[in-house]
Amino acid sequence: MRAALEAARAGADVAIVTKVHPIRSHSSAAQGGINAAIAETDSWESHAFDTVKGSDYLADQDAVETMCQEAPRDIIEFEHMGVIFYRGPDGKLGTRAFGGASQARTYFVGDITGQALLVTLYDQILKAGVKVYEEWYATALHMEGGACRGLVALEMVTGELHLLRSKAVIIGAGGLGRLYEPSTNALICTGDGYALAYRAGAPLMDMEMVQYHPTTLAGSGFLMTEAARGEGAYLLNSLNERFMKRYAPNKMELAARDVTSRAEATEIGEGRGIDGNVLLDLRHLGPDVILKKLPQIHEMALDYLGIDMVKDPVPVRPGMHYQMGGIKTDVDGATPVPGLYAAGEVACVSVHGGNRLGANSLLDTIVFGRRSGKVAADYAKSTAASTGGEALLRSEQDRLRELLSRPYTGETNAGLRLELAIMMDKLVGLYRVESGLREALDKLQGFRKRYETIAVGDKGRVFNQALTFSLELGYLLDCGETIIRSALIRTESRGAHTRSDFPERNDKEWLKHILLTRQGEGEPELSYVPVTITRWQPEVRTY
Amino acid sequence: MKVAFYPGCVSKGACPELYVSAKAIAEPLGLELKELTEAPCTGAGVLSEQNPQLADALNGLTLAMAESEGADLMTICSTCQGVLSNHNYHLQQDKERMDRANATIGDQGFRYGGTTKVKHLLWMLFEDIGIDRVASAIKRKLTGLKIAPFYGCYILRPEESLGLKERPERKTYLQQLISLLGAEPVEYRGSTKCCGFPMLTFNREKALAMGGNHIMEAKDKGADLLVTPCPLCHLNLDGQQPDAARVLKKDIGVPIFHLPQLLGLAFGMDPAELRLDHHVVPTKGALEKVELKV
Amino acid sequence: MQFTIEVGRFNPEGTYPENAVPGAPFPAPWDRSPARRYQTFTVDLPEHAVVLDALIAIREYQDQSLAVRCACRSAICGSCAMWINGHANLACKSKLSAFTQDGKTRVESPPSMPIIRDLVCDMKPFWDKHLAVKPWLQNKQPVPPPNEEYRVSNASMEELIQEVSCISCSACLMDCESFAVNPDFLGPQALAQAFRYAGDPRDAETKERLAEYSKPGGIWDCTHCYECVTQCPKGVAPLEQILKLRRMAVDAGFTNNAGTRHADAFAESVRESGRLNELTLMPKSVGFFNIVEQIKTLPSAFNLIRAGKLPPLIHKAIPGVNRIKTIFERVGGRFK
Repeated sequence: MRAALEAARAGADVAIVTKVHPIRSHSSAAQGGINAAIAETDSWESHAFDTVKGSDYLADQDAVETMCQEAPRDIIEFEHMGVIFYRGPDGKLGTRAFGGASQARTYFVGDITGQALLVTLYDQILKAGVKVYEEWYATALHMEGGACRGLVALEMVTGELHLLRSKAVIIGAGGLGRLYEPSTNALICTGDGYALAYRAGAPLMDMEMVQYHPTTLAGSGFLMTEAARGEGAYLLNSLNERFMKRYAPNKMELAARDVTSRAEATEIGEGRGIDGNVLLDLRHLGPDVILKKLPQIHEMALDYLGIDMVKDPVPVRPGMHYQMGGIKTDVDGATPVPGLYAAGEVACVSVHGGNRLGANSLLDTIVFGRRSGKVAADYAKSTAASTGGEALLRSEQDRLRELLSRPYTGETNAGLRLELAIMMDKLVGLYRVESGLREALDKLQGFRKRYETIAVGDKGRVFNQALTFSLELGYLLDCGETIIRSALIRTESRGAHTRSDFPERNDKEWLKHILLTRQGEGEPELSYVPVTITRWQPEVRTY
Repeated sequence: MKVAFYPGCVSKGACPELYVSAKAIAEPLGLELKELTEAPCTGAGVLSEQNPQLADALNGLTLAMAESEGADLMTICSTCQGVLSNHNYHLQQDKERMDRANATIGDQGFRYGGTTKVKHLLWMLFEDIGIDRVASAIKRKLTGLKIAPFYGCYILRPEESLGLKERPERKTYLQQLISLLGAEPVEYRGSTKCCGFPMLTFNREKALAMGGNHIMEAKDKGADLLVTPCPLCHLNLDGQQPDAARVLKKDIGVPIFHLPQLLGLAFGMDPAELRLDHHVVPTKGALEKVELKV
Repeated sequence: MQFTIEVGRFNPEGTYPENAVPGAPFPAPWDRSPARRYQTFTVDLPEHAVVLDALIAIREYQDQSLAVRCACRSAICGSCAMWINGHANLACKSKLSAFTQDGKTRVESPPSMPIIRDLVCDMKPFWDKHLAVKPWLQNKQPVPPPNEEYRVSNASMEELIQEVSCISCSACLMDCESFAVNPDFLGPQALAQAFRYAGDPRDAETKERLAEYSKPGGIWDCTHCYECVTQCPKGVAPLEQILKLRRMAVDAGFTNNAGTRHADAFAESVRESGRLNELTLMPKSVGFFNIVEQIKTLPSAFNLIRAGKLPPLIHKAIPGVNRIKTIFERVGGRFK
């Protein structure tokens, strides 16, 4: 939406194509806050360094610098749009502490920051009169002369496929959490953007960097915001010990997410967990703080587990949460494919490198959303419109027809997805090893073969969700393959990627990004791009 | 048992049949009605909406009057029940509001200490008088009648101030009572919905359509009459029924009974005694089904 | 644990599973909405499972053709609002055990919204109303420079958290009685968002907004029944926001409407006599010079007279009415 707003301001005729109403986007689930070095005592350099260190030195420092330099004005712009940020006593924006930050610089709205930003931005879209193709499901990018010239989308309400020609396409389609079980992500996070770009020839970068969030609610996997730890919550094991003192003695519970998730997994693995979980304890914060600053998660724990966090600790465990990797872009959101841009979680600039700091994702979306919107609009001014695409439309129609005509085999897409997700969590999760990864790749190829035959259980035209689910599973399989392959290639441990057979970080050989570009049905083409270092040489990373 | 009786404005104005029948059933139920004759109108939510402080003071005064009687405050109107419960709840929860209300009424000889319980007659039947007592007072079972309950919004919502989270059974008392009296309760969606009265002066046609639709739904399900614990609902559903019929372009003709009138009939009283001959929509047809005349 | 779910199906293409039984038509004012066909399923789920868990289980393992909007599963995206046992709720927040009536849970797309398929309704009425209140900040001038925020108190921002918590699920509109009889009514969500901006100290057009919202279809077309407050899964309490708007509108001088006259007449009656004078309330609310409206109320007046229900012509004050007058003097505000 930020990109569309900027493109509209730059004078472009822009439309948003989205498979759910914009308000239903998973950004609404982001709870804790958004980072920026606004305070007088803060500096963008400090924010940038925290981000680079947080990324385990895999982030491109020029991109990080850009993001941190522009963060303050982007946040203030949202304030001018009406976001009801928390204020300090002087009426200026106020902060809370967040993981991996050397000083508090997270701006927030209760524990509904993502939602507050999303609804305000949607209201701005309404004000600007941007057209939205709501519940139009993108099935393929339209490529012409090596450039991206639009897309084909399924109109859910009618079941009709449409070709939408445009001079540029910006992908902001979010993450791929449904590839893992458990995951904090919504059912709609199925890697559509990554797969569409990958199939169109854009490279996917650093796909092995999959972040597990340390505090997801036991059972459901719902996100328990890092802000809880920012307000002072403890993490306890079965011995009632604040175990983080053994892993991150300085930052304790506010160490970077990968460090904290691994710590929890170790505690649980070594027998100090409680039914496979650890405990998030907020009792000492008192009902005032909990009910005022963290009302949403208080209600979640009550609703889904029957636990009142004012009185009792809450069982949590690491759950897959965020994909640091994604479609390779430059600092303007441009992919190597002309006419194709990307921003947000789906993109990899890279600002998050091997591990993302909390409250940097919302920032990433608005900074690079804005930048890509502007640049794409400028590009569109100097490009002629496409005239082709009919062949693509027809082949998509054939493809969908084939899906709808398959005979029942007794297998379901839902069942296959669950098998895939459990496998990914087990073999391509917090801890990886070569034999496990090879097994994962094997299994995935097996899943693909089965996927090619599974029938779509609804033959209707109107709002056929069985059909879109089948397409989504295809996207997940593509994403899964690139993740496993990248994980196999990176023979070191860095950020969220931990190889038990290569437990050390290897800066000599691995200060570079892994890029995979599709080439036909065979193995993707592998290439590397060195990490851009401007001022911070890699150091040992401790919290 | 003694209750601080708060009849509300309408039962002494446009719905005198409610006041008369409420007084009549007190004896068989063992109720000693100490009427709060100096208590003001609750404001019906209209004053609360426009000036919460004023409504706090007015209702605080009423609650204080009941408190000084040392008895529960009994209402016979869903709207009085809702407004008084709402203000009672907030005065009890918010010390500032309580202090401000007391500062306003303090020198008038009353001070509210926050202990009054506000209970509609409908609740008291189950919670204080007890259904055994009610059952023993029944002299004439209303067998053969299909009766549709119509609660009225303010005895059902908002749930917090009405104690419905603690006592969700309050949402079914009317149905239970109808069965107890020997009649068949009619289940229909409109029983918990709004009759439209609050909107009558703002958007007359839509308000009438609201009430009319609910009656028609009950009628389509076989109801012989509706019973309601709220005289404001009664005014809309009975008093305005001919107009509603005109708006909906349908024949309605379903009588609306007040809660105490239904009880009175079951207790063996004469329909005329309960002023069942003073309704806009004739009650004759329904009464004939239990071999009564008015 | 076994749960029984009855799902209301609707397919514009006309094909239904064999065991989908036609249901009763909806009562007025929703009789225009097509009746659903109900299909009964049994699912085996943990005891704290929610309605959405059941729907997903059905969709994944029993009938893939079931269309239902859902995404986050955790009551933040607002996709899954539907009628559960006849009242609008989020499916992901409704425990099956709490919503079992007569041994089963019934879900369907509410008849108050147009229907697309099965549990997917057409949200257009909802989004149109949202747009109609101009739900965006009209910046108060001067806008601070790009590196500076508006200086406002935290309290004024916290006051708006309740309204910003709205996830646009539409449960409130789905169950709104006024909207049911009056499709032109802006509805609880739109008006709650209207207050979110009218009550924002950084908005420049408060007066213009209040003027708009005071028009027919706006704040005075709400029947004050608290359905929206009860059904809202996020505690937005839309009615409370509508009441705030009414107070603001009256304070701002938008008083030429039945709503304000009604309140004034009510207050005057209580102040002078301690209780409501029904005889004069209606004519005063309508406006003495509004002959057309006055004539419309005559038939019902005659009916009341005929039934012997006319309030006493001489309206007596309650004993101790001076107390009431004193109260009005002290805190009566504009009703003094």
